Amino acid sequence: MKVMIPSASLRNIVFVVALLTLALGLTACNREKSNEGSSQPRVALIMKSLANEFFLTMADGARKHQAAHRDQYELIVNGIKNETDLAEQVGLVEQMVAQQVNAIVIAPADSKALVPALKRAKAAGVLVVNIDNKLDAGALMEADLSVPFVGPDNRAGARLVGEVVAGKLTAGDKVAIIEGVPTAFNGQQRRAGFEDAMRTAGMNIVSVQSGYWEMDRANNVATALLSEHPDLKAILCGNDSMALGAVAAVQAAGRTGKVLVAGFDNIAAVKPMLADGRVVATADQHADKLAVFGIEAALKILRGEAAPADQTTAVDLVTR
Amino acid sequence: MRNASWIRDYVALAVILAGLILLFGALSGRFLTPATFGAIANRIPTLTLVATGMTLVLIIGGIDLSVGSVLALAGAVLGVALTDWQWPFFACVALAVLVGLSAGAANGLIIVGARVPPFIVTLGMLEIARGLAYLTTNSQTKYLGAAVEGLARPITGLGLSYAFVLALLVVVAAQVLLNCLVLGRRMVAVGANEQAARLAGVDPRPVKFTGYALAGALVGLGALCNVARLGASDPNAGVGLELSAIAAAVIGGTSLMGGRGSVIKTFFGVLIIATLEAGLAQVGASEPVKRLVTGLVIIIAVVADAWRQRAAGKSFPLFARLLGKTINPNSNHPR
Repeated sequence: MKVMIPSASLRNIVFVVALLTLALGLTACNREKSNEGSSQPRVALIMKSLANEFFLTMADGARKHQAAHRDQYELIVNGIKNETDLAEQVGLVEQMVAQQVNAIVIAPADSKALVPALKRAKAAGVLVVNIDNKLDAGALMEADLSVPFVGPDNRAGARLVGEVVAGKLTAGDKVAIIEGVPTAFNGQQRRAGFEDAMRTAGMNIVSVQSGYWEMDRANNVATALLSEHPDLKAILCGNDSMALGAVAAVQAAGRTGKVLVAGFDNIAAVKPMLADGRVVATADQHADKLAVFGIEAALKILRGEAAPADQTTAVDLVTR
Repeated sequence: MRNASWIRDYVALAVILAGLILLFGALSGRFLTPATFGAIANRIPTLTLVATGMTLVLIIGGIDLSVGSVLALAGAVLGVALTDWQWPFFACVALAVLVGLSAGAANGLIIVGARVPPFIVTLGMLEIARGLAYLTTNSQTKYLGAAVEGLARPITGLGLSYAFVLALLVVVAAQVLLNCLVLGRRMVAVGANEQAARLAGVDPRPVKFTGYALAGALVGLGALCNVARLGASDPNAGVGLELSAIAAAVIGGTSLMGGRGSVIKTFFGVLIIATLEAGLAQVGASEPVKRLVTGLVIIIAVVADAWRQRAAGKSFPLFARLLGKTINPNSNHPR
């Protein structure tokens, strides 16, 4: 028998397998602790970045819900490190399928790229429910896949926020939009909602640029917009972090009160700004409930109580 | 001797900067206004401080990839100390600088002590500090408001913020350190040729350690400026900041091989990057165009620097010697 020196790729495979075994072993231990080998459905919640306050709130809401309904289902929560790390999320889907969960509730990091992995999951007999960021209809059709979407209508929510801003301006006023990641569906929907409201009210949208959901980048964009347009009347931001960045830019330019700022998500840090009017409106899509809605829908479908169909959840306007 | 003339170095950087300003001035009717330059001045303190630290680390032949994460961590600790613990402002500032200093010192200690590549160690610190930033804030953005914003407000009569003045003072101090102080000269010597420095009786270890620790402390100060500018501390702050800082240093002619670099020229690099970013946003360039142009300017600036170095060595050695030397003569620099 020949002794072979393992090649680099073989060593890599061995390493990955060892890691996976370890990971599986760890999750198995966790499961045993939380549950004594019952036949309850097992639901995997696959999130975007849990470093993001919004997704952390979603995941915490789901964990609380599971704790209150311990007898109904088991929950495995996973998130990716970076919101744009698609490969990591595809890997999580595959890992959950290998663990033979009954349902996957997923907030896809990309509305198209996750479709093939979810199709494989469904083929393996796993129920898939889509939350937060809606999968692309065209990509789903191409893959001949149907996935129920349970979540808010971001476009309608953004339109509500936009209407509040428009109500404080007069037709023809100059406004700008700072959108989220341009490739994200929810970002596109919010931008579209803002545009709907502005066009209806006859506002002049002078610029649409991306702040990549980040405070710092939105601050830089807003600063430049304020220098370029001395008569700018409002900045509509795709999320509250970017709105905070825009508020700082408006203050630095000494134009507080003259330039309105609006956001989306209703995070804690924006509350003092709503109180004194530096942010005029934001939208609350009930982050703590979003994952729970998806999990409840999945459980109902698993129990045969509901057909897999899309569900729209509430988005509330917040102005105080 | 391959000593480029320092005057020509500054001229080249100033020409690129002026070119950008004129270009954006032509593209936008409102770019050439005091408001624009005030805005640029008030947004650069963070990058200036971080890039200054990065220049020191690059000069000693190292690299620090953890600056963005450490910035977020120091900012997070500052925010928590200010709001949750209700510490007085100056204690919070000291704490933020201390957090940066500790992260930098940890980097330096491991790199020097365990003799492992700085690339890997600081990559590890990048992950650790980001994780700690999320833990400290529970992943939440903290609104701080008036408690910190004063620092980023323009000083009456001057039009520039305290943060900007602070960054400028640090640039001058770091340049004095490199040019005139024993420690700075040793940093250059160790970066240019560690073996030679050791044979000349300079122990490279404390020199390198101090470089990383100083860079860390400057990141802590940078965190203070960032938090002040935004009026909030954000655990997601500074993602990709290491690349901007390295770009600024390299545009300013700092060698990634160590032994050559100037903090004042790095400051020009920061100005070029900030002007580019502000100008592109102001003319409303699309996202792909922004990235294309930024990448092109970085490459052009670095190619211009390399070309200048060579031209100086070949054609004008006497001219160069008459005009003076660069901050770091690299005659014994291994190429």
